[in-house]
Amino acid sequence: MRTLRSTLAGVSAAVLAAALTSCASQQGSVAAGPNAASASGPVEGGTLRMSISAEPGCLDAHAISATQQALLGRILYDTVTTLDRDGNIAPYLAESWDISPDGTTYTFHLRKGVTFSDGTPWNAEAFQVNLEHMRDPATKSPLAAAYIAPYESSRIIDEYTLEVHLAYPYTPFLYNLAQSWLGMNSPKAIKESPETLCDHPIASGPFVLESYRHNQSITYVRRKDYTWGPSWLRHQGSAHVDRIEITVVAEPVVRFNSLVSGQYDITEAAPPQNATAIQANPDLVYENLVRAGNPWILHFNTSRPPFDDIRVRRAFVAAVNTEAVTRSIGFGTYHVKDNYLATPTKYYDKSTEGLLRHDPALANRLLDEAGWTGRDSEGYRTKDGKRLVAYAPTAEGSSVTPELVQIQGEVRKVGIDLRIQQLPQAQLTERRYAGDYDALGGVWHTNTPDVLFIRYHSSEITGRRIGQNAAYLSDPTLDDLLRRAREAPDGEEAARLYAAAQHRLIELVPGLPVHENHSQWAYHRYVKGIEIDTSHPIPVFTGAWIEG
Amino acid sequence: MRLLKRIGFRLLVGVGVLWGAATLAFAALHLTAGDPALAILGGPDARPTQEVLEQVRREYGLDDPVIVQYLHYLGRVATGDLGQSYVLRVPVLDAIGEQIWSTAQLALIAATTAILLALTIALLTARRRPWLRSLVSGVEVVLAATPTFVIGFALLIVFSFTLRLFPIGGNSGPSSVVLPALTSALSVVGTLSQVLRNELEEVLEQPFILTARTRGMRDASVRVLHALRHAVIPTVTMSGFLVAALLGGSVITETLFARQGLGTLLLNAVYAKDVPVVLGVVILSAGVYVVINLAVDIAYSLIDPRVVTA
Repeated sequence: MRTLRSTLAGVSAAVLAAALTSCASQQGSVAAGPNAASASGPVEGGTLRMSISAEPGCLDAHAISATQQALLGRILYDTVTTLDRDGNIAPYLAESWDISPDGTTYTFHLRKGVTFSDGTPWNAEAFQVNLEHMRDPATKSPLAAAYIAPYESSRIIDEYTLEVHLAYPYTPFLYNLAQSWLGMNSPKAIKESPETLCDHPIASGPFVLESYRHNQSITYVRRKDYTWGPSWLRHQGSAHVDRIEITVVAEPVVRFNSLVSGQYDITEAAPPQNATAIQANPDLVYENLVRAGNPWILHFNTSRPPFDDIRVRRAFVAAVNTEAVTRSIGFGTYHVKDNYLATPTKYYDKSTEGLLRHDPALANRLLDEAGWTGRDSEGYRTKDGKRLVAYAPTAEGSSVTPELVQIQGEVRKVGIDLRIQQLPQAQLTERRYAGDYDALGGVWHTNTPDVLFIRYHSSEITGRRIGQNAAYLSDPTLDDLLRRAREAPDGEEAARLYAAAQHRLIELVPGLPVHENHSQWAYHRYVKGIEIDTSHPIPVFTGAWIEG
Repeated sequence: MRLLKRIGFRLLVGVGVLWGAATLAFAALHLTAGDPALAILGGPDARPTQEVLEQVRREYGLDDPVIVQYLHYLGRVATGDLGQSYVLRVPVLDAIGEQIWSTAQLALIAATTAILLALTIALLTARRRPWLRSLVSGVEVVLAATPTFVIGFALLIVFSFTLRLFPIGGNSGPSSVVLPALTSALSVVGTLSQVLRNELEEVLEQPFILTARTRGMRDASVRVLHALRHAVIPTVTMSGFLVAALLGGSVITETLFARQGLGTLLLNAVYAKDVPVVLGVVILSAGVYVVINLAVDIAYSLIDPRVVTA
């Protein structure tokens, strides 16, 4: 982070210097920074070559839920709002907004002079068409539609003013609008050729899609007339590099080596096992940021045995030395986590830290209390002759989810038999929605504390509707806190409610938190001016340039 | 006339093979668990509404009985329509068309390399000193038994990571095809050269070779001018094996070298239960196999007319 910050200081100072408005102290900070050599200013032109671990298969922001969209979306799309460096809501395609006192009507005042790359202007109608496109069942939106679920209707007040009506007060709305998955498509393309949006999305961002070869590469070229970057970017003009070429390199070893050998300038998903090597390499910059939302958690299915018994859940959590697990799988680059909300998330409550502890003696005591007192020939606990077994399905890949393997070893020490089942993605999806599992591990990223509603409110249990409450947690106290929290406007009330919700979750133990959800990437030092979108957090290339 | 009849019969068998492949793949995909509607909507982390789920089931005919889906499917395939990819949301033909050249290019270069290598090795080692023969034969066995990804990785470490002679992968220019093609070639060359050498050794014991030698022909000329012609038959016979091995191996080669291609397309489709794409690739592979076998058949009758009467 430190390296990046100083790069940012260098960029901004160089821009200021070029504009002949710089002050002495700012210049001084450039000279003192490690990137002082770049004080000559941004270089125009060139191609930024990036490798990524996977591509979403479709580039229409509204039609996918893939992680990679966080990064890819920032190249192609603009969003209505954005989060600034401190994670606060800031203007982007909307200059400002008014919220009615009851929290259900949002009046957006839109930025003028913005166009999509097909020439269509950005205006109230364009915004409206996008909101409708997200929730249209024909879009088959797996994510965006859910994010704007309370959206009821909207009214065009004038060319640049849209009044949006929500079914109930929903403070996460502005945060969701800042996410890559809610980027704005050209209304002309949505209306005239929706079937082409996956392969040829048309947006208003700093780059335009040039070519897209599935599973292989995505190429973007810059828009010369782009002047509407968000204010935190400190670079509102068009991008410095002419092109961005993205190649899918699935194998982590190959991704690391091709970065080092200079075949690519930057890699997304820098393999943690190579972190030490990257950090030791003076030519490379390593970024290790924490994503907001849910950390990596092994969720317990609380609707059936053995995890319907809170003592077993508590015992499971106490049995695992998450510190050791995290160190081992993150090769020292992951931060250990002991609660259900990622640290950078708004209203994260520090007072929850240390409440879930590694305590094997407690684990054994709790399991005894829960009646798992017998032992079988292999040393696993039994009750009424039945072994204490928990099934944890996971997606089939080249290797088994390392977290599960480690946890399996940890809980074996107190007599729990955690069985890992590797399944093809489609089967895993079906098991997930059928609730046919005992434990399910993973991360869930979003830029608002409303992730707690998405993950733990009883209305998000799959069955009545497709939800992400993988723990099948149903607790009236928690439900009430979470509903009131999402309805409360940003401020003290929301902070208090989210703090209470976090403490309630620690009492309910819906899962075993292990480590933070990390966003790791690395690039060559000759790439300057990369900024970070705090919503995800991923690199933004609008102000980036390649030093000769 | 006889040849035409033969071709017609083989084509008919080919259609049967295609139908069988399509049916087996269809059955296999429907017997395995996993709701395609959920797969279409982005996997376990997605939050689609019930309404969207129903829309998808309707649109793709997923709520029809399996037999109806199967008949619909066969009907469409018969008219050349392979359907729409669930995940990529483009017609399957387009998805395949986008990848096929990359795989074909790799397979062609690999096959040519493998055949040339195998011929050279066989010519140089057939009926030579026992120690040389066993040494080469040993290397061949090891090569044939080494998993493709190990070969590929070794090549990557030497020529890309260390010597930096070739790029790590991708589809960027001629140099990017060298290592993947060599990997594929090496994975089949062991088997190929063993078969060729056995054939050559048999030929070299034939009386007409002895005649040639007694006429004072030099060893190299005997091998290249007389014996090699007979090695063509097993090469042709093995082209089916070659195609199958190279197509099958493309999954690994493409993943390792970050190459575009049918292998990656198929792998991703299987993981995501993208049924139309899987079936499309299966039908295509079966089609290629049918065509190759037909071509082999015709080539036989041209090389050696006696084969037809057999």
